This record gives sequence, C-alpha cells and structure tokens, in this order.
Amino acid sequence: MTRPRPGRLVIGTLGLDQHEVGAMAVSQILVRHGYEVVYLGRFNTPERLAAVAEQEDADIIGVSVHSWEFTAYADELILRCRDLGIGLVFGGSLLTDSDRADLLARGADAVFGAYSAEADMLRQIDAVVQRVRAGSPDPAAGEPLPAPLAGRVVVVTGAAHGLGRAYTLELCRQGAAVVANDIDEAALKETVDAAADTPGSACPAVHDITDPAAPRALLDTALRRYGQLHALVANAGMLRSGPLLRLADDDLRLLLDVHVTAPFRLLRVFGGYWRAEAKANRAVPAAAVLTTSAAGLYGFRAEAAYSAAKAAVTMLARVAADELGRYGTTVNAIAPAARTRLTGWLPDGPADDDPWAPEHVAPVVAWLLGPGARKINGRVVEVGNRQLSVPNAWQPGPPHVLRPGVSPTDVGAVLSRAFESAPDPLRLLGTDSG
Amino acid sequence: MTARRFYAPADTGTDYSRIADPGSYPFTRGRLRPPDGWIQRELSGEGSPRRSNEQLRMLLAHGALGVDVIGDNPTMSAMDPDHPMSVPAVGTTGVSLCRKQDFIELLDGIPLDRITLSHSLPPAFALAGQYLAGRDSGLHPRVLRGSAIQPPLYAEDCSYSTFLPFSLRMRLTLDSIAFSLREMPRFHAFLEDTYYISDGGLDVVEEMSLGLLEIREVSRRLIARGLPVDAFAPRIAILVNCRMDLFEEIAKIRATRRLFARMMRDEFGAADPRSWSANIAVHTSGLSLTAAQPANNIVRGAVQALAMAMAGVQGLEISTFDEPFRTPSAAAHQLAIRTQQIIQAETNIGAVEDPLGGSWYLESLTDDLEQRIDAAVRQMEALGDVDTLVENGYFRGILTAAMDRHSTAVQDGRARIVGVTEHVVPPESDRLLRDAAEERFAPDLAHVERIRAWRPTRAQAPLRDGLDRVRDAAADPDADLMGPIVAASDADATFGEIAGCLREGQGLPADPFEYVGANR
Repeated sequence: MTRPRPGRLVIGTLGLDQHEVGAMAVSQILVRHGYEVVYLGRFNTPERLAAVAEQEDADIIGVSVHSWEFTAYADELILRCRDLGIGLVFGGSLLTDSDRADLLARGADAVFGAYSAEADMLRQIDAVVQRVRAGSPDPAAGEPLPAPLAGRVVVVTGAAHGLGRAYTLELCRQGAAVVANDIDEAALKETVDAAADTPGSACPAVHDITDPAAPRALLDTALRRYGQLHALVANAGMLRSGPLLRLADDDLRLLLDVHVTAPFRLLRVFGGYWRAEAKANRAVPAAAVLTTSAAGLYGFRAEAAYSAAKAAVTMLARVAADELGRYGTTVNAIAPAARTRLTGWLPDGPADDDPWAPEHVAPVVAWLLGPGARKINGRVVEVGNRQLSVPNAWQPGPPHVLRPGVSPTDVGAVLSRAFESAPDPLRLLGTDSG
Repeated sequence: MTARRFYAPADTGTDYSRIADPGSYPFTRGRLRPPDGWIQRELSGEGSPRRSNEQLRMLLAHGALGVDVIGDNPTMSAMDPDHPMSVPAVGTTGVSLCRKQDFIELLDGIPLDRITLSHSLPPAFALAGQYLAGRDSGLHPRVLRGSAIQPPLYAEDCSYSTFLPFSLRMRLTLDSIAFSLREMPRFHAFLEDTYYISDGGLDVVEEMSLGLLEIREVSRRLIARGLPVDAFAPRIAILVNCRMDLFEEIAKIRATRRLFARMMRDEFGAADPRSWSANIAVHTSGLSLTAAQPANNIVRGAVQALAMAMAGVQGLEISTFDEPFRTPSAAAHQLAIRTQQIIQAETNIGAVEDPLGGSWYLESLTDDLEQRIDAAVRQMEALGDVDTLVENGYFRGILTAAMDRHSTAVQDGRARIVGVTEHVVPPESDRLLRDAAEERFAPDLAHVERIRAWRPTRAQAPLRDGLDRVRDAAADPDADLMGPIVAASDADATFGEIAGCLREGQGLPADPFEYVGANR
C-alpha cells in the first residue's frame, strides 16, 4: 500500500485580485513538502474554486489575498466548502489580526497573515487535512453548528471560573471572539485554551476589574486584537458574606467596587466608544449584559450588602439602557442561579446532569448578545435550574391621597389603609420557608 | 551579489571616456538636471474620479511636481466598474476610470500644462482619456507632459491583465506611441516600466534585461513601421525599481544608461544626442517594505530616495509606509512627499551630479552589471522571436521563479529583514502606525450606480458607430487602433466596451471572463 499524500489543495486568487506572489510561493512550499497543488491562478470565483476542488477531490481550497476583494467572496466560499465537506484557508500579507478573527469566526479553517512561519502554516494545514479526512463524507454530517455570533467581539469579565468560563466557551462555540478578563491568570489561561477548538476565539486579558484603568485596557485589547467591540458581559463577582452588624468597611467597599462601580465604569468607557462610532456613522449593534442576582431582586437573608449591590445593578441596567439605547446599544441584566464558587449552598445535583450547571445559563446570555435580542433593552432575565423567567420590576401601588395640613393621626390611618391594600412582599430568600 | 570587502583603483578601468561627464555620451552619469533636481511625485488614485481629484490636488498642494495615477483592479484590466466581477474591487486599489467623463473629473483643475501626469494605466485608454480631458479644458495637446506605461510583453503575467491577446497588446502599444508622437510631442508615450515586473522578486539583472528587451522589441517594430528612431527615442523613459542594496541599484541605473546610449546610437543609428540619454525615473520597492513594524518603512523609503537622488534620476516615487496593506493614504502621501523635499532642499545632494562617480566600488559594479545585463538580453534574444516566448510562458517562468526565490530567502532567513527575520516583536508591541496602515475603505458602490444610471442616457447612434469602428479596426491587422479608440471614447463608449470590441474584432468573446475561460 502506498503512503497517502499529505494532502491536495486547490490554490488561487479571487476576482480581479491578480497578484500571485503569495499564491505561487505557498504552492511551491507545499509541493516541496509533498502536497499536491492544483494551481488555478487568477480570476477565480467561489463557484470555480469549489467546482475544481470537487472534481479534483481536494482536501482544502487555499485563497491567496492581495486586495480587499476577498471580503465580498468569503461567505459564499465558506458555504461551498461546507457543502463539499472540505477545508478553507486564506493567506496574504495584508490580512490583519482582525481579518483573521473575522474569517475564522465566519467559518474559515485557517488564516495566515504576513510572515506566517512556514512550519506553523504546514502544521495548521496538516491539521485541517486530517480533520477533513476524518470527517464524514456526507456533507450534512460534517456541517458545523450554526455560529450566530460569528464576527462578534465580546468582553467577558470574570471569565476564569464558573459562569464567566461557561459564557466564554459558549460564546466561542457560537463563533464569537472573546476578550476574556480575569484576575486569576492561570485559570484564565485554562479557559482560553479550552476555547481553542471552537469556531470562535478567545484571548486572555488579565486585569483587576476594580482598577479604574481596566475598562479602557479591555477596550484597547478588543480593538487591537479584533478591530472592533460589540458586546460586554460584566460577570466578575465575589462574595463578602456577613450580617449588616458585622460587615467591615473594607468588605463593603470591595463588594460595591466589584458589583456596582466596575460595571458602571465599563458601561461608561464602552458606551463612550459605541456613541463615538454611532456619531461617525459606524453604529455598532452593541449589547451589554450586567449581572444581578435573585439577591438583588428579592433580597437574601444576612446578605444586606451583596443584595443592595445587586439591586443597584438592576437599576443601573435599566437607566443605562435608556441612555445608551439612543446609540444602538442594548443593556440588560441577568440573574443567574448556578453552581459556582459563590453558591455553595445550592442543593446537590447529579454530577453528569446538574440542573444548576453554569452551562445552562450561558446560551441565554449568548442570545441576549445576538441578533435576536436587538429589541430587548433594560430588562432582567432570571435563569437557573433549567428554567428562566422575566421578573416584574417595582410597580407603584394604588395611590392614597394626603390632604393639606394632614394630622399625624390621619397619616397613620392612610398608611394603614395603604398597607392593608398592598400585597405582602415576597419573603427574603434564604429564610426557612423561602 | 557578494561584494569584496573593499575595492581599489585596479578594479576600475582607466578609460574615462567609458564613463564621461554628465550630459555626455554614453551618459553613465546621467543628464545635467535642472536646479530642482527631479520630479517629485507619488502614486495616487482611490475611489471615484472626483475623490481621486481631491487626492491629486492635495498632493500638488503639498508640493508634488507631478502626479502618477494608478487604476483600481478593474480599471487596470480595462473592465467597467459595473461588471459583476468588478464591483467588489471598485476604487479600493486605485481610481475607477472607464470613460471620458471620468478623466475630465479626475483632472479637473489640475494644471496639465505645468505638471507631468504619469499613467500607471492601460496606455491606449490613458492617452485617449488625457487627450480628451485636456481638450475639454481648452489645452492644446502639444503642452501635455507625462508618461504612459507600455507593457505589451509582461503585463498579462504581472498582475495587470487586460485580457487581450499579445498581438493586440502590441498593436495598442505601437499605435498609442505613434498617436502620442503626433499629437502630444512633449509626452513620454513609451514608458518602459521595469518596476512592476521586478517587484515580485526579480534581481537587477533580470529587471533591466527584461526592460531593455522590451524597449528593443518595441523600437524595432516602430522603426519597421517607418518611424525614424530619433522621432521616438527621446520620448522613451524607463521607470525602474529601487530595492535595499543601494549601491547595486545606483550601479544598475548607470549601467542601463550606458547600454541604452550604445543601443540607440550604435544599433538603431540614432543621431540626435537626445535619443541616447535615457530618462530614468524610479519607484522605490514595495516588496522591500514590511507589514511588520510599518513605521520602519518610512526609513526604508528615505534611504532609497536618498540613493536615487544620488543616482541622478529624473523622477521619483517613494513606496509609502502603508504599501504592504493598501495604496497610499493621505498621511502616507504627505510623508513621502516631505521625504523627497527634505532630501532635495536640505541635503544639497542635487548640487553635484553623480556625486558617487569615480568610486572604485561603484564603477566596478557598474561595469559588472552592464556586462551581465547585456549578456542576459543577448541570451534571451537568441531564444527566438518574443511572440513565441510570450505565448510559451517563458517570461512568466522567470517571474514565477523569482517569486519563489524571494519567498524562500525570506522563509529561511537568508534575506535579512529587520522586523521579519530579526528584531521581531510580538504583535501587541507592534503598534506604531499600525492602525493608520491597516485602515480600510469600502468599494465605491455609489460610483458603480452612477455608471449604471449613466449608460442608457448616452446618444446611441454615435456610440454604436464608434464601437463598430473599433471592432472593424481590430479585425484589420493594418488598421490604426488609436483613432477609433479616441473617437469611441469621445462618443462616450466605456473602456470596457471598447476592449470588448477589440476582442470581438479578433473573433474572441467580448466579455473578459469568457475570454479567460476560453483560454485557460
């Protein structure tokens, strides 16, 4: 039995992009390493490249890029390659990091920019060939999951553990490019590595979210790495538990800094960027998801500071939604209940099918950042234990008139009537019957 | 090329007449230039003709002494912007030009009688456009100056395909040169552009031997038509490349001048000294610039420009720092023009012609390159007629091998490139001027719509008549193509339509992509 060739590629340029330097150079490299190259030269359409690839039973279509025309042809080519169940790689010195993120998010298998190292390129091409050959010959079976967030660039804070990690991985699975922020560098790296095999991509950004400079640094990272920023998931959180009478100032300050001040600053900096883009006629369909909690909606026994902080977040989301909505940005809040480092008190569930697993929350957050949620603004979604709900916000009760010169006794009477006619408040969470 | 560690008097001949004074045969040392030295210009063109017109005005306001216009990919291929294959590329790598009105808008308010206009465009259409636009602004064609690239041998294989067979490309070259000599006598209708053929990775010997081969071929054919050599030789100019081996580039220019002078005087029998002295302009190498650390490209452009000022060139264009990514941005334009101005105004380089002449190294290198370029030309001419070489892909083979040689040298580190093979920095540190270099703009779809809407508004009878004449001329191997092309352009035919009729006249499909399909 003869050893199979390393792979067969169809290589060419698209449209009127006539510069063949890169296409020829890469073809020569591949041939030297034992690949078969079907060289199609210039003036190709996605249709022609795909037709030849099918006819030649190629593993990969390689497109050499020397002008910006590729952006017009990429989607069609990606679809055709998917239909054929073959790989698609782009190469060209003018491809920037944000092109790379964008093309990968749209479904390309590999993208090589200026001065890609030969060894790395060969390694990646080999990996694509192996994937293609391992895949089912039935194109439907090889069809990747839809990637509704392809091309979207999202900052996730608190991305190293728990919910933030689940969000990051889900967003990447849906094609997004994630700037993953956390203070725990080692765990963050693990999260980013775990995203490596997704259609999206993640890059780590280690900052303390209470640092006033952190939001700007995260915005810069997103723009530098991916050329754009579309969304924020302000997820970073921590818990300083304790009854009111015992919570120290430092703990109180930290709670408010992490849960309230940090998302406020993130919205101020990111919102400022989105407003500027909108004013320059480049409006970004932006979305922010803040993190509140059932504690912030209903209160949690013996967690006065945490509950107050989370209640502040719901109102921050509501008012920020109104302000930033003018520039095309939505702001919503999520009240997740999931097994994380903050929620050791949740009832145990089966390890392999835990209803409180953070993974159940992540698709909800992803949806709020996607095209289906453009009209959802200023709302809260409560999710956990395999269900979700949209809680009602505070609503005024029926009015009771206070006459001019009302006496203290009369006030008492009016109040009694008011309380009698108002529904009982929900019990705090964490009480015995709650 | 590996030089020795040093050179000595024994390395150069003692016969000064081989070198001679600037302005004297064999023009090794070039011409005696006017006090302002060389024509400072930059490659320009983006979006619609109006947008490019603003760009030209800005360059002239910065002090440019000439303009060099390049078309977008469709324009370079003589395809109209509303062709389906053109749309994604309209205006992004140059200006979109497909009709008389486009040239009128491009050149609106540009003092064509005072500056030079270099066309990096398909020559017959460029000349027709400039001629008609000049007439529209009331200028006599006699005052028009500038140049048009004549690329019949290599364009098809060097990124600027016009989808025309070689015989037609050569006829367009000969007819457009003859037209220009007759109508625009101050214009350099025969610009031999060795820049674009060499910037895939050719070495200096390959670059200049291919350039001289094309000059010789076109000259022979002009002479065969009955044009005296002294009628066209002074209207030849050469646009060369300048890479980073600066002495080699300077020596190449000096060797080329000597070869050109000898060829014109001794082989073609030119008697007018103006026919002997090559007019040499330079475009600094885009291939020598890097996508990594783009600010470094400013330095590369500056040292190349300095070398070329010392080489005594007639015109200079610097490839701008954003060249690895795009055609020049406004900021890049200004920097490049300022670089030229600093060299011209502050260094006193222009005070003495050929200041490096007499350098043992440079003279030795000049002799060496002259001999090697000459040998390469003879070798190619011995292979047979160029028509066959073109058809057989001989030149394409040279270009392909050079591209491979270059990329291999970069990959294995033999080519030392700062920021690429050494002193590499991680992407997050590589920020200086990166955003400016990577800035993009969208194809000009509004211009596509403008052309679509305009088509049906044209007077149909003269248009049809003009195109018929083009088709008939293309069918007749002895007919002049330029007259019908100018007339059809004047009747509002588009360049795409005219190119289609040229093909049809030869029994080929009018649509360029059908033509490609049939010739794959």
